[in-house]
Amino acid sequence: MSSETQQDKQVESAVEAGRQRRGGLHRLDVSATVGRPVVKLVLGVTLTFLMLPVFVTLIASFGTTWTGTLPRGFVNLENWRTVLGLAEGPGVRDGVITGLGYSAGLATAGMLVNIVVGVPIAYSLVRYDFFAKDIVNTLAILPIVPGVVLAVAFLRMYPEQGGSTLGLIVGYALLKSPFMILTVQSSLQSMNLQRVEESARSLGASWTRTFLTVIVPNARSGIVAGCIITWTLAAAEFNFTYMVHSAGPRPFSLFLYQNISRAPVLQGAAAVSVYFLIVTAVILILQTTGKAGFTTVERK
Amino acid sequence: MARDTAGGTGTESTRTGVGARLAAVRALLSPRTEAERERRRVAVMSLPYFVLAIFGAFLPLGMLARMSLSENQFRNEGFSLDAWETLATEPVYREIAWNTLWFATVTTTFSVLVAVALSHALAKYDLPFRRWIVAMVSFPIALPGIVVGFMIVVLLGRTGLLTNAVAFFTGGSRIDLATALTVGGLFLGYAFSLIPRATMVLRGTFEEINTDAEEAARALGASPLLTFYHVTLPQVWPGVVAAFVLTFRTALAIFGTVLVLPALNVATLRINLEIQDLGFNLAVASAMGLVYFVFIFGFTFAGVRLIDNESLKI
Repeated sequence: MSSETQQDKQVESAVEAGRQRRGGLHRLDVSATVGRPVVKLVLGVTLTFLMLPVFVTLIASFGTTWTGTLPRGFVNLENWRTVLGLAEGPGVRDGVITGLGYSAGLATAGMLVNIVVGVPIAYSLVRYDFFAKDIVNTLAILPIVPGVVLAVAFLRMYPEQGGSTLGLIVGYALLKSPFMILTVQSSLQSMNLQRVEESARSLGASWTRTFLTVIVPNARSGIVAGCIITWTLAAAEFNFTYMVHSAGPRPFSLFLYQNISRAPVLQGAAAVSVYFLIVTAVILILQTTGKAGFTTVERK
Repeated sequence: MARDTAGGTGTESTRTGVGARLAAVRALLSPRTEAERERRRVAVMSLPYFVLAIFGAFLPLGMLARMSLSENQFRNEGFSLDAWETLATEPVYREIAWNTLWFATVTTTFSVLVAVALSHALAKYDLPFRRWIVAMVSFPIALPGIVVGFMIVVLLGRTGLLTNAVAFFTGGSRIDLATALTVGGLFLGYAFSLIPRATMVLRGTFEEINTDAEEAARALGASPLLTFYHVTLPQVWPGVVAAFVLTFRTALAIFGTVLVLPALNVATLRINLEIQDLGFNLAVASAMGLVYFVFIFGFTFAGVRLIDNESLKI
C-alpha cells in the first residue's frame, strides 16, 4: 500500500517535472526520439566489446601469422596440435590434456564439497530464522576472502599442503561456494518450504528423511545449475592457484597463463579457445536447465 | 509453542553465564522442545559450511595476522612491528593504496552505469534473441582474469585487431598505437570483467519493477527520460547500490588481468611481487593481505547495511 502511494508520488513528480518545462526548455528533452536508440547503441557497443575478441581469438587460432590487420594463412591446425600436445611448441612444456584432466578432477572434488556445504546452509537460511542470520547470510553468499589473500594465508598456515591437491580443493570450494549457495537459495525460494515439510512430517517421515527425499529432489534444478557454475569457475581458477601452486601436476589455468604470457599470440589463442569451448558447452547445458547463462538470477 | 520456549530462554539468560551456556549446549545436544530441535537443525545444517570456513579461511587469516608480526620470514618467531612499519612509512605502499582505490572506484562506476543501460534494455525492450544476449553478457563471468587480459591484447595489443585497423587507416606505427599495456587498456580489461557482473545483479532488480507506474507517467505526458529519473530509478536504486558494492569488491580482487596488463601498481599485483620477485617477503605480504581483507570485509558489511539481502545476487 505504502509503495503504491510512493509510486503515485513518483509519477506525479515525473509529470510535474515535464509540465514545468512545457515552455521552450522541454524541446531540449529529446529522450522520446533519442532515448531508445542511445540505450540500444550502448547495448550493441558493449556486446561487440565483449564478444568481438572472443570470436577473433577463436578464428585466429586457426591462422598461420598475424602480421597484417587480420590473421592470415587459414586453415592451419598447427596451433591446436601444439596446444593439444600432439606437436612440440615454443614456450610450453606439454599439452592441455594432463592439466585439464587434473583441473577437472580438482573442480569436481570442489563441487562435491560445495554440495555438502552449500545445500544445507542454503536451506537453513531460506527456511529458518535464527541468531545472527543476516551476518551468516552475508558471509555465505559473498566470497569471504579474495583469492590472492587466501593464497598468502594458505602458504603460511599449510606450508606443506597449501599447494597440494587437498589445498587446492579446499581453496576452490571456499572461493566458489557463494555461487552454489545463491543458486540453491533462489530455487528454494520458489517453493513453500514450510508446507512441503509439514506435509511430509505429518505423513510420518522423519526430519532427515524429509530433507533428503523431499526437499533436496525439489531443489534439483538449483543444485544442478550451482554444480555447473562452480565447476566451470573452479576449473579455470587462476589467482589462488598461481600463488599457492609449487609442485605436482600443473592445473589448467597455469597452462593457460604460460600460453598467454610466453607463447606466440596465435598459440595462446588456441589455448584460450579450448576454454571458450568448455564455457560454451556449459552455457548450452545451463540453457537446457532453465538458466540463461552464468547468472544466479532465476528466470521469471 | 515456539513462543513459549522463546520466553523460556529469556528467563534462562538471566541466570549465571555458565549456567545459561550449559543449558544452551544441553538444548543443542538433546533438544526437548520443537524450538530447540529447530535450533539444533540450523546448527547441524550450518556446520559443514563453518568447518570449511574455519579451516579454509578463519584459521589461515589468524595465521596471516600472526605472520605479519613475526621476526622471521619463514617461521613464526618473536614479535616485531617491522612489516607494519614498512607498510606505514614507505611511500610506495600509500601510492598502491591510492591506485587500488581510485581505479576500482572509476571502473566500478563506469561498469554500473553501462549495466543500468543494459539491464534497462533487457527488461523493457522487445529485443530479438533476448536469451542469447543474456548468455553473451554473462559469458565473461566465466573467464579468469588472465584470459580477460588476453582479450584486451587481442583487441589493442601490438598485433591487436583495433591497433592494426587504426594503423591501416592512419598509417601510424602499430607499436605506438598499441594501448593494451596502458592504463586505458587496463581500464577496458576491468570493464570487461565488471560490466557482466554488474548487469547480472541489476537484471534481477529490473525484472521486479512495477511497470504500471511507468506506463502511467508516460501516459500522463512525462518524457522517457523524466519517467526513468523520477519513476524507474527510485525503484531500482537498491539494486544499483548492491551492484556497486559487489562490483567494487570484485574490482579490488582482480589479479590475473593486471598480471597480464601490468599498467598500474595495485595491491594484488604488489602482494604477488612481494612473494615471487622481491624475495619471500611473507611478513609484508601478510600485513598487506590483512589490511586488504579488513578493508573489503568492512566495506562489504557497511555496504550490506545499505541494501536488503534480496538484492545480493551474483
